[in-house]
Amino acid sequence: MKNRTFLRRIIGAPYVLWAAIFIVIPLLIVVYYSFTGPDGSFTLDNMKNLSDYGQIFKISILYSIAATVISLILAYPFAYVMSRKKEKTQQIMMVLVMLPMWMSLLILTYSWMNILERQGIINTLLGKLGHAPLNLIGTPAAVIFGMVYNYIPYMILPIYSVMSKIDPSVLEAAEDLGSGSFSKLYRVILPLSMPGVVSGITMVFVPSVSTFYISQKLGDGKILLVGDVIERQIQAQNNYNMGAALSLVLMVLIVLSLALMKLFAGESDENLYV
Amino acid sequence: MNHEKNIIELKNITVRFDGETVLDNLNLTIRDGEFVTLLGSSGCGKTTTLRIIAGFLEPDEGEVFFDSKNMNGVPAHKREVNTIFQRYALFPHYNVYDNVAYGLKVRHVPKDEIRERVMEMLRLVNLEGFAKRSVAKLSGGQQQRVAIARALVLKPKVLLLDEPLSALDAKLRKDMQVELRNIQQATGITFIFVTHDQEEALSMSDTVVVMNEGRVQQIGAPEDIYNEPQNAFVADFIGESNILDGIMKEDFTAQFSGHTFRCVDRGFAPGEAVDIVVRPEDVDIVKPEDGMLKGTVTSVTFLGVHYEIIVDIGGFKWMIQTTDYAGVGETVGLSIDPDAIHVMKKSKYSGLYGDYSTFSDEMEEMNQMSEELAEEYAEELAAERTEEAGDGAEEAGK
Repeated sequence: MKNRTFLRRIIGAPYVLWAAIFIVIPLLIVVYYSFTGPDGSFTLDNMKNLSDYGQIFKISILYSIAATVISLILAYPFAYVMSRKKEKTQQIMMVLVMLPMWMSLLILTYSWMNILERQGIINTLLGKLGHAPLNLIGTPAAVIFGMVYNYIPYMILPIYSVMSKIDPSVLEAAEDLGSGSFSKLYRVILPLSMPGVVSGITMVFVPSVSTFYISQKLGDGKILLVGDVIERQIQAQNNYNMGAALSLVLMVLIVLSLALMKLFAGESDENLYV
Repeated sequence: MNHEKNIIELKNITVRFDGETVLDNLNLTIRDGEFVTLLGSSGCGKTTTLRIIAGFLEPDEGEVFFDSKNMNGVPAHKREVNTIFQRYALFPHYNVYDNVAYGLKVRHVPKDEIRERVMEMLRLVNLEGFAKRSVAKLSGGQQQRVAIARALVLKPKVLLLDEPLSALDAKLRKDMQVELRNIQQATGITFIFVTHDQEEALSMSDTVVVMNEGRVQQIGAPEDIYNEPQNAFVADFIGESNILDGIMKEDFTAQFSGHTFRCVDRGFAPGEAVDIVVRPEDVDIVKPEDGMLKGTVTSVTFLGVHYEIIVDIGGFKWMIQTTDYAGVGETVGLSIDPDAIHVMKKSKYSGLYGDYSTFSDEMEEMNQMSEELAEEYAEELAAERTEEAGDGAEEAGK
């Protein structure tokens, strides 16, 4: 047994090294920057200044929650329908879901900018129909839409993957025992698909709350999220210390919300993969 | 329970999947309180029949009646039948108690009554102490019992069982057979049991329905199915059979294997071509000069209770089960009593079954295939050799 642990350690060594160099050390650097000033001396100024950004944190979290909820509402029925289709149809639907993921997020977001702009495709069409142009870009709706559009595949895939593992005869058993569609959904499908929902929520919420590109382009510069502020501190103002402090707080918030999710889903998780 | 009443009637049911006919104009009547078994090999339509009764599948043609009420279009959750699924299909996110309580909760039965009925069911299936257990931690047999309790707690008029014992080991299976039979008799619920295991079908049922290719081949009590098979398929499928081509000379006289036998069948036209069934256990091995037929032993297998002896008579391999030993290569005589001979009308299955050169159709196909492959391989080898020889000749030419 001892030999085996030793062997495991040897095999695991490169990964431990990798994790140390590319995850742990950068994290420590972020912490270091957060608590130092531009001259490198220890200070709590960055932490004190954080209170200026309270509103931005609030907006970021609210928008991300909205995007996550909308994604969930759209993705859940889609994933269910997809998991009950024939194998071939499932594969086609899967490719359609994944297709946007193969394109750069930048290009996708630029395209949406083009579509939503004041002189964009939608408003040009409306103009030809004699309609006044709509304010689409630069609205919270546009930013939230951008998040949903970009991240919904990450909601669909985990839910679909859990749903396709539900034994069809278990669903038949529910019907057989007297469940109509709603009762079947609420008593069987929903609890059995909870793990997929939890990981979907995580995978949409985390990138949404830290995005800067989507809010920059579809917010038309009018909407600032935490990601934008961090980017500005580092790129425009060259203030790595403030940027690091903001990142650190964002990270802590994300970790806390993940822990909360885990706690919430912990019970239903247990004996799922029978 | 009223044995005279028909609880389920299937009339002219036809089902097609992707153009393939799975059930072909099937008619079946099931009486209240019966233990009926649908027996057949995979793809015969038995499970499809069950799914039509359960309401998971709508027939393309034909009608389903419960208690003389037409059930076409009534969804599964509104039918008074419950199903035991092949792999139990328990709810993995519920414990034993909640699994059994499921149907009662859906029906909004008061809590106290649910508790009472669930506990009573768990007692019936000997799982009293298991109420709070997770179903994932149960053995196959215990999961089976939960599935039975979950269905029976709803007091269905009909219980459908889709090969429920196939995942259990042989001994547990026998126990469960007895138990299911006891539960059926105690509750008086009509059981419709699907299996491919003929022994299971014979030992448990009041009525056996033998199915093949989407059609009913024979319906009857287990003894009748075994003793009076209607065609070569049934004779071969239920138990072991030597099935021979024969001619009915006149009533009580049949001719096969070059000998004329006395038998107990009648009602055939004089000289009519028929199929003859002789069960292996009904043949006695005697001295060559005392036998009605004479042949050479080609194989002997010891099976504990008896020997299984294959005897070649004019190219036809007979199977004989006997406690008398005969060695391979010996010439023996066979003696058959008149009541051991069963005469059947010719059917589309005539000539397909009943010779014991191989035991299974699959083996027969494999034998044929390997012969063909061997031939192909020999041809290939020959071709290669000629090529090589050709190359050699060319090189020599240079």
